[in-house]
Amino acid sequence: MARIQIKDLVKTFGAYNAVSGINMEIKDGEFMIMVGPSGCGKTTTLNMISGLETPTSGHIIIGNTVVNDLEPGERGLGMVFQDLALFPHMTVYENIAFGLRIKKEPRAEIDRRVTAAAEALHIKSLLPKLPRQCSGGESQRVALARTIVTNPAVFLMDEPLSSLDAKLRVDMRTELKRLHERLKATFVYVTHDQAEAMTMADSIVVMSKGKIEQLGTPLAIYNAPATQFVAGFFGTPTMNFLEGIVEANGRGRRFKAPGIDQPLPDSLPTGIAGKKITLGVRSEHVLVDASAPHAGTVLITEPLGDTTLVHFEYGQGKTLVAKVPPTTTLGPGAMLNFHFAPQACHLFDAAGGARLN
Amino acid sequence: MAVLSTLTPEQATARRARREGRRRILRHMALLAWTGFIVFPVYWMVMTSFKDSGEWVTWPPNWFPRDPTLLNYSQIFAFAHLDASQARQATEQSFTIWKGLGDAVLVCTTASFAALLLGTFLAYSISRFNVGGKYFRHTILTIRMIPPIVIAISILMYYAIIIPYVTSALFGFRLKLFDTYIGLILIYTVTTLPFVIWMMLTFIDEVPYTLEHAARMMGAGRMTVIWKIVLPLVASGMVVTFLFVFILNWAEFLLALTLTHPEVTTLTVLLNKFQSASEGRLYGPQAAIGTMITIPVVILGMLIQNHLVKGFSFGTIRK
Ligand SMILES: Nc1ncnc2c1ncn2[C@@H]1O[C@H](COP(=O)(O)OP(=O)(O)OP(=O)(O)O)[C@@H](O)[C@H]1O
Ligand SMILES: [Mg+2]
Repeated sequence: MARIQIKDLVKTFGAYNAVSGINMEIKDGEFMIMVGPSGCGKTTTLNMISGLETPTSGHIIIGNTVVNDLEPGERGLGMVFQDLALFPHMTVYENIAFGLRIKKEPRAEIDRRVTAAAEALHIKSLLPKLPRQCSGGESQRVALARTIVTNPAVFLMDEPLSSLDAKLRVDMRTELKRLHERLKATFVYVTHDQAEAMTMADSIVVMSKGKIEQLGTPLAIYNAPATQFVAGFFGTPTMNFLEGIVEANGRGRRFKAPGIDQPLPDSLPTGIAGKKITLGVRSEHVLVDASAPHAGTVLITEPLGDTTLVHFEYGQGKTLVAKVPPTTTLGPGAMLNFHFAPQACHLFDAAGGARLN
Repeated sequence: MAVLSTLTPEQATARRARREGRRRILRHMALLAWTGFIVFPVYWMVMTSFKDSGEWVTWPPNWFPRDPTLLNYSQIFAFAHLDASQARQATEQSFTIWKGLGDAVLVCTTASFAALLLGTFLAYSISRFNVGGKYFRHTILTIRMIPPIVIAISILMYYAIIIPYVTSALFGFRLKLFDTYIGLILIYTVTTLPFVIWMMLTFIDEVPYTLEHAARMMGAGRMTVIWKIVLPLVASGMVVTFLFVFILNWAEFLLALTLTHPEVTTLTVLLNKFQSASEGRLYGPQAAIGTMITIPVVILGMLIQNHLVKGFSFGTIRK
């Protein structure tokens, strides 16, 4: 069984905390994606799981074994690297066979498994070639074949698609998902691309500055981000944030900001009246409606084909983005009225960024 | 304000071409003069090696041997004692090249291999583990800035006096390094090690460490990683480094002169011994040996050139 547990994992480089105390559990057979901005400690965490880095403190448990003191090769893991790390002086065949040769498998067995792996990834014709004779997408498949051939229970992947062009990257996403379903292995996948995380993951770990911000399914993270950081990280365009204060009167609590007076749901914790908060709302929940209470002026529009993004200004030079149907007639300078879908408002503590509702 | 005289595009092109042409002529003249300056001694050496004794020192000089002879070569390559036709009366010490050649090949090859082996592993640990700290790689090269003359005498003292004395006092046997193969190989290994480390560092730094990570993930141990991944990728670099160091050792004179006599004789030292009591310097045989020493250096130099191009731009490592 390939469940991975991480307990109080810390890694410091000199005085710098690259990973500062993370706890998580990756279930057997799960497609888990670690996502976060550059330098947040994703690679460092992955390298500690793989054994290429030694944790400063904390434990890594794979199955039922604490693997802290095991060599990378003894942990039963396979890894795909960002730069693929194909051995340039070996043919594709030898690259794929390398791990089996190290394990001293019999020659016939090696041949059988290399061929099988190559067939699975449609690269049989590449076997006699050298890596430098392969295209980017082909090299990617070779790297995958080299990893699956040893039947690891866990696949670790560090931004494996980042060297590919946009189209190929989207194709490979589907292929990776299919591979995951076929192999039923545990995948731990690192990326800084939120779209990649949303589309592929069973569950997502959002990291920032060496800490876990949130752990959950893609939809849970999208619909109920635990912090303002997570809210801003997922979704295109970035969520709109408005700073204001909560006012309470006879008619319930309201969010007040220059040009905005938004009723708040009752589900909010008590005692936030008078507090500074940040209201987050995605562009698809900014509703343009002639009868709405708030007014704004259009700055620019961005037609995306299936929708159009409208950037507009409201009160004191603040801007918002709304997603409207592509049939819109709004243009720069036009006046519009808008309101927020009340159930789609995310409220965060203005000081700490923690979610309030 | 200066007024530019009008210039049509054609005139401008012509003027630029004239200027370029003049520059090119000057450049080539300077380069030719320099080449002549460098090549002349080599030319003179090769010519002298084909001259008989009467022509070695003449005025005005003979630019070509008037009466070309292979006598000098048959003398240095003689196996047995020279028969009457070849032995100049003056050549009472009949030196041949064989002893010097044998010693030079043995010492230079062994020392270069030893330095290559040690230096490659040292370079690996410096490149990968920062052994010695951040500036160690530069420190290493400054060691080579000490002129050999500075260390020659102290090494001599160690080799001839201190080490034999201390070993016999401590262990009961005299470790003899002066005038031995071991002694010369040792000093050549040590003096060329900084070059090996420096050169191999540039090659090993080029090997992405993720390749090693990938191999280790597949279960390869540290030695397997070095043997199967790193060494094959720096192989052409190792060849270049070996040849470079071999040439250094091959041409080394001062340390060999100081630390050997009479047993071990490398070619450069042998060259210097080629003189007779009555005739003075035997320029002909010396020139013949000089020519023979130079040939491998030229060949190795050309090999290095090819390999340098290969090593640096062949693109075995795609980033
Ligand atoms: N060997 C090291 N020595 C010192 N600092 C390091 C080392 N490796 C990583 N760091 C630092 O630790 C932090 C986390 O690095 P890490 O590589 O884990 O980031 P990441 O999340 O993978 O970023 P990216 O998306 O850019 O790959 C970075 O600030 C980095 O500078
Ligand atoms: Mg990284």
